[in-house]
Amino acid sequence: MDKIVIKSFFITAILSTTMTAEPSSSLQNNCLSCHIEQKIPSELIHRRYLLKYSTNRDIKERLFKYLTNPKKETSIMPKQFFLKFPEKASLELNDTELSESIDIYLDYFDVKKKLVLP
Amino acid sequence: MLSSEKRSLFRFLSIYLSSTFILFLLATFIFYDYQKHQIIDIQNAELSIEAEHITQSLRQLNETFTKTLTYPQKEPFKSAIYDLDKGYIFGSFNPKNILWSEEYYQEEKRLFHIHPLFPYYLGASYIVISKEINPEPIDHLLKMSILFLFIAGIFFTLLGLFLGRLFIAPMKESIEQMNRFIEDTTHEFNTPISTILTNIELIDTMYDCEGKEELKRIEIASKTLSRLYEDLTYLKLNHNYHREIESLNISKLLEDRVEYFNTLIKSKELKVTQQIEGNIILEMDKNDAIRLIDNILSNSIKYNKKEGAIEIGLNSKTLRVKNSSIGIKKEDINLIQNRFKRANSSEGGFGIGLDIIGQVVERYGFKFSIDSTYNESTEVNIRWIK
Repeated sequence: MDKIVIKSFFITAILSTTMTAEPSSSLQNNCLSCHIEQKIPSELIHRRYLLKYSTNRDIKERLFKYLTNPKKETSIMPKQFFLKFPEKASLELNDTELSESIDIYLDYFDVKKKLVLP
Repeated sequence: MLSSEKRSLFRFLSIYLSSTFILFLLATFIFYDYQKHQIIDIQNAELSIEAEHITQSLRQLNETFTKTLTYPQKEPFKSAIYDLDKGYIFGSFNPKNILWSEEYYQEEKRLFHIHPLFPYYLGASYIVISKEINPEPIDHLLKMSILFLFIAGIFFTLLGLFLGRLFIAPMKESIEQMNRFIEDTTHEFNTPISTILTNIELIDTMYDCEGKEELKRIEIASKTLSRLYEDLTYLKLNHNYHREIESLNISKLLEDRVEYFNTLIKSKELKVTQQIEGNIILEMDKNDAIRLIDNILSNSIKYNKKEGAIEIGLNSKTLRVKNSSIGIKKEDINLIQNRFKRANSSEGGFGIGLDIIGQVVERYGFKFSIDSTYNESTEVNIRWIK
C-alpha cells in the first residue's frame, strides 16, 4: 500500500513536469486541473488503458463509458487505488465535449510522440 | 573390348548411373532442404529470443514516465510494434505487406517473426521482428551437398565399371569361344573349298566329259561356301583388319563380280539388265567393296524367283540392285540389318550378308535403303554422295 502511494507521488511529480508541455485548455480545465490538484497520475491511468485495450478506439470507448458513469467497479484502476484517491465524480460535459476531451487526452499522452530510437 | 561389349557396358552404365544419380540427387535435395529448414529454424529462434528481450524492455518502458522513451533496438535486428488493429506504433523499420497469419516467414533475404504480446505494453499487441538471413551456413551446406554428390558420383561410376565388367565377363568369354570356333572352322574350310574350285575349273577346261550340269552345281555350291568363308573371315577380322584405302574402279569391280556370279545366275535362269556407268571411282578398301557388292548380288540372286530378273545400276552417286524377289514385309525392313535375319526362313544363308553391307555402309558413311513390295520386288540402294 505504501509502495503505491510513494509510486503515485513520484509519478504525479513527473507528470507535473511533463504536463508543462502545453496541454490544451479544455484538457487542462476538464481533466488535468483536478488530477494535478488531487495528485492523480493521469499518464499511469493512460498506460493501464493501453495495457488492456491497446488501440485508441477501444480506449476511447471504455473511457467514454466510464466517464459518463464513473464507478469503482468499472474503473481501470485497482480497488487499492481508491484507498488513496477519491472516486471520480461525473463530469458536467455533454457527449461531444467529452468525446473531444478524450481525443485530446489520448493525443496528449500518445506514446508514439515519446518513443525515440537510441 | 569388342564394340558389342562396349555397347553393353555403356548401356548398363547409363541405366545404372542415371538411376543412381537421380536417386542420390533426390536424396541430397531432400537432405539439403531439411537441413536448410533446420538452419532457418535456428535463425528464427534467434528472432524469437530477441522478441522476448524487446518484450521485457517494453514492459519496463510501460512503467517509465520520462519525456522520451528509448525504443529497444539491437543490431542486426529490425523491429516494430503494432497495436491490436495492426496499426503501426513505432519501430526501427516499417515493413510493407506483413503476413499477419504467419508466425515466421521469409521475404527475399530477410526472416520475419510476428510475436504476439499480452498485456499490451505501450499498447503494443504485436512485435514484428526481422533480420537478414545469414547465408554462410546455407552456402556451406550447399557446398557439402555438391561435394557429397560428386564423391558419390565418382564412387558409383567406379563401382558401375567394376560391376559392368563383372557382368559382361561371361558374355565376353562366350563371344571369344564362338570367335575361336569360327576362326578354326573357317580355317579348315579354306583348303578344301579352294581345292574343289580349282579342280572343277581344271576338269571344265581339260576334259569334255558328261555331267557338265552336275559339275556346275558343284561349282555353285563351292562358290557359295567360298563366299561364306570370306564373309565369316571378314566379320571375324573386321576389328583388327588393316584397310588399304585406294582409288577403286567400282564399275570394273562390279562387272567382275557379276561375272563371278554368272554360274549362279544361269542356274536360276535369271535375266540380268546392267546399266553400269564406266570408270566410277570410289576411295575405299577393295575387300570392303567386294564384300559389299557380293552380298548385295548374292542376296538378289538368292531371294529371287526362278526365271526372275535383276536390274543392276551404277552411276556417280548410287549403286542400285533391283530383283523380282519374294519381297520383304514392311515391318521386317527395319529389322533387316540385324544379324542372322532372313527374309524367308525356307532359304539358306546365315543372314550375315546384310549385316556386312550395314557395316561397310556405316564405315564409309554411305546411305543404305531398301524398298520392297511384298511378293513383287526388292530394291537396294547404296548412295555415297549426299
